[in-house]
Amino acid sequence: MPEPGIHQLLRHGGEPLLDEILAGRGLGRTAARLALAMTLGAALYGAVFGSWHGARLALYVAIKFPLVLFATTALTLLFSWIAARLLGLPLRLAQAAVLTLLALTVASLVLAALTPVAGLFVFCSPPPGPEARTAHNALYLMHTFLVGTAGFAGTRALRRALGRLAAPRGSIRAAYALWVFAFALTGGEVAWAFRPFVGSVYAPVAFLRERPLDGNVYEFVFTDILPHLAERLDKAMMD
Amino acid sequence: MEPAPESPKPETPPSPRRPLALFHELLSAPLAPVERARSGESSAPLVLLAGGLVGFALYGAAAGFFQGGTQVAIAAWKAPAIALLSLLLCLPSLYVFGALAGARWTPKTFVAVAAGLLATLGLLLAGLLPIGWLFSSSSRYLGMVTWIHVLLWLVALGLAFRFLGGALRALGARGGTFLWLALFALVSFQVATLLRPVLYSKPKEPLLRLGEKKSFFEHLGDAFKVELEEPKPAKPSPPRSPSPNPREAHPPG
Repeated sequence: MPEPGIHQLLRHGGEPLLDEILAGRGLGRTAARLALAMTLGAALYGAVFGSWHGARLALYVAIKFPLVLFATTALTLLFSWIAARLLGLPLRLAQAAVLTLLALTVASLVLAALTPVAGLFVFCSPPPGPEARTAHNALYLMHTFLVGTAGFAGTRALRRALGRLAAPRGSIRAAYALWVFAFALTGGEVAWAFRPFVGSVYAPVAFLRERPLDGNVYEFVFTDILPHLAERLDKAMMD
Repeated sequence: MEPAPESPKPETPPSPRRPLALFHELLSAPLAPVERARSGESSAPLVLLAGGLVGFALYGAAAGFFQGGTQVAIAAWKAPAIALLSLLLCLPSLYVFGALAGARWTPKTFVAVAAGLLATLGLLLAGLLPIGWLFSSSSRYLGMVTWIHVLLWLVALGLAFRFLGGALRALGARGGTFLWLALFALVSFQVATLLRPVLYSKPKEPLLRLGEKKSFFEHLGDAFKVELEEPKPAKPSPPRSPSPNPREAHPPG
């Protein structure tokens, strides 16, 4: 029987591929092919993600975006597997790794498909500079929305895969929720460490910030973004 | 304690000989140690306890990276101490709550449940270690990193709920798990407050401040007020009020 191809993820719900993974057949080969597809998809979108600041940041983000996905997988995999086992899901560590890659590959393929749309908005944005802060924020929001949407599509593939396991429905739901929670919590912070992506309107282009592990994204939201929005809101109310 | 339950004894898997195999068994058949205890065999509680405490110590060390240096070692011994002391304080209530819910305890099953719970929590924390390390290494504010650890601890407790519920059900209990686990969570927060400082020590601060009384509610809130004596690199001075300078409030790309 011919090996199920990665393209089948987009057709028939990837059923033959899921059968192979859940049966534990050819996991190494499947992981390698999924990793390659994920890297290509994420790199393609990454190139557009960073292209507002020119070719150099586009190249950097094309390299960094797949790295963010791999690093997050590495950081969360052990917990995801332990949680799944404790919830009674019959998964080996290697199967958990391949299922995570499967979800990320679906997300990356969706992102690759959205590349022309993102590219259009980047192309239509004014060039970066201190006066282009609104354009920066709009691009930031757009990419966040597109990446979030693609991530959601990826997790649906994961949910479908977990749903085929011989385990109670409640356990599957709990495992799915924990995997998504761990990946979202950690992925946000990993992406923060790998910044910049869109590129700051004030700081020069760089592969990584000088101290990438300085501060966490949630601190930034609570100490900068929210106070800033509250201040703007206050001003608007006063006016 | 009552004699062993009269219900038909399950097929008990042979006890794994190596500690690692025992922990792998916790993932594949979490209730196996309890089943062995029901059959009158040993559940290897000391190995489970020791392994669980190692998991806590490793997670503690990762959490200590918030400050780094000697705090890594301090947090590495305080984390298992918090777990062990919390469990010891809650053992009487586990026995009484379980018995009231219908669990037919024997000394062996009681020890197996307690050791299995600690081992499960230690295993989960070992799994959460990379995430805990990432946030500990990168966070600037004690309040934020404290709450991240609280969140991860609650996730671990949520998963341990399944082990405890299954174990109590296997012993004939109906309910009681959530109440006891909530109590255990509260006690663990208070013990962590009692054994403070865990994540961050000011220079010349004593290793323990057992004489100073404080509730964990107050302590968790106070964590946001602590100003680090040696700020992390590029720390934008203590939590600030909303900045009028748009550049400061701007997302860094």
